[in-house]
Amino acid sequence: MASSKEIAAFLVNGNEYEVIIEPHLLLIDVLRDKLGLTGTKYACGAGDCGACTVLIDGRPSFSCLTLAVTAKGKSILTIEGVAEGNELDPIQQAFVDQGAVQCGFCTPGMILSTKALLDENPEPTRDEIKTALAGNLCRCTGYVKIVDAVEAAAAAMRDGGGR
Amino acid sequence: MMHRVLLPFEFSEPVTVAEAVSLVDGDRARALAGGVDLVLKLRLRQIVPERVVSLQKVRGLDHVRVDADAGGQAAAAGGRAEDGALHIGALATLRQVETAPAVRQRWPLLAEAIGSIVSVQTKAMGTVAGNLCVGTPASDVAPALYALGARMRIAGRDGEREIPIEQFFLDAGKTAVGPHEIVTEIVVPAPAAGSAGAFLKLSMTSEDIAKVNAAVMLTLAGGVCARAAISVGSAAPTPVRAAAAEKALTGRAIGAQAITEAADAAAEAVCPISDVRSTARYRKEMVRVLVRDALEKAAARAAAGKEA
Repeated sequence: MASSKEIAAFLVNGNEYEVIIEPHLLLIDVLRDKLGLTGTKYACGAGDCGACTVLIDGRPSFSCLTLAVTAKGKSILTIEGVAEGNELDPIQQAFVDQGAVQCGFCTPGMILSTKALLDENPEPTRDEIKTALAGNLCRCTGYVKIVDAVEAAAAAMRDGGGR
Repeated sequence: MMHRVLLPFEFSEPVTVAEAVSLVDGDRARALAGGVDLVLKLRLRQIVPERVVSLQKVRGLDHVRVDADAGGQAAAAGGRAEDGALHIGALATLRQVETAPAVRQRWPLLAEAIGSIVSVQTKAMGTVAGNLCVGTPASDVAPALYALGARMRIAGRDGEREIPIEQFFLDAGKTAVGPHEIVTEIVVPAPAAGSAGAFLKLSMTSEDIAKVNAAVMLTLAGGVCARAAISVGSAAPTPVRAAAAEKALTGRAIGAQAITEAADAAAEAVCPISDVRSTARYRKEMVRVLVRDALEKAAARAAAGKEA
């Protein structure tokens, strides 16, 4: 069956991109294959693991369950847009410092879910952190160091390290 | 089987309800809200539509609103005025409803049920209406809305109709939404004074779908149960009201004996299946346990004057 191609504008990490898309294209494929932003990871494809998490207009979303056509014109943040140039975001720095990264596959999604949390609640309790990251699975760390990292990031940002 | 690539389809983005219902056509032209369920089914090729009709740009469906007590606003807008009812638009996300201050305060049972869905992304994308339209008996939202006496507003080509949520679920995966219809709104009446509720869910991990879940609403007057609404999910082809259990409680002083009898009646009435998550026998037994625990919790909350 014929399907309608179009040139669509996407706003990713503050940059505007024009991409030829079809309606059945998934956002994760636009990000990874068309824009080369391979920091967003594909894992379960079913909304269970959260590895593909990006923020769409600030909302943590599964890019593997989002039709690209529905994300046109919305502000999309991927892991590539979290650091400022070569300077890591306090969240990324805290994940490194606390040893919250092992294989690293869940890390981009974890960091974006953390960013969504801290944007809304700069002083989360450990329980609030666990609730905010409940949609992101990690098979390496046992989560303790990830929760530690979010706490450390929140503290660092309160102390003026945030942006 | 999970496919990495979706099969092609045409795409529409209507901006009015009338336009949307003129485009949708069951599985041939499927309505898309948050996408968490539909896009997964497209990946699994369980549904291969010719067209996907996104409702995301339809105006006037993303509200979570409480009628003014006089109901004037809703009447003025052409809706049915009702004292203090909650109106959930078809595009309101699970998270939007769960975190709405009015919901937390006056419909905490609903917030509790949505809270049992743990993935933030699922709740940030997925809508309450979409959760119901999946038609799964394992919906966590449905038992709470059964216990709260919610009604579904459904728009079709000839206008809008309203049905009680108990008439919405027809069979596993099947709802009352016709091929040329969409859900526009869920209306949840305000709980009576002296009411309290509780939601409980049993699942393998907190991220998994319910083996069994249960929601109850109790209205107490001086320690006597004036009204009981008990609903159970994942224990029949649809979520169900446990009418016999409700009858066992109504008019009686709330205590261990009455609660045990009601829980027994609820377990007696359900007809669960065995599947990968549980055996039928285990589910039936757990209905007894969850209904008992939920009734105890709701009774304690009602007694403490907390409208949970």
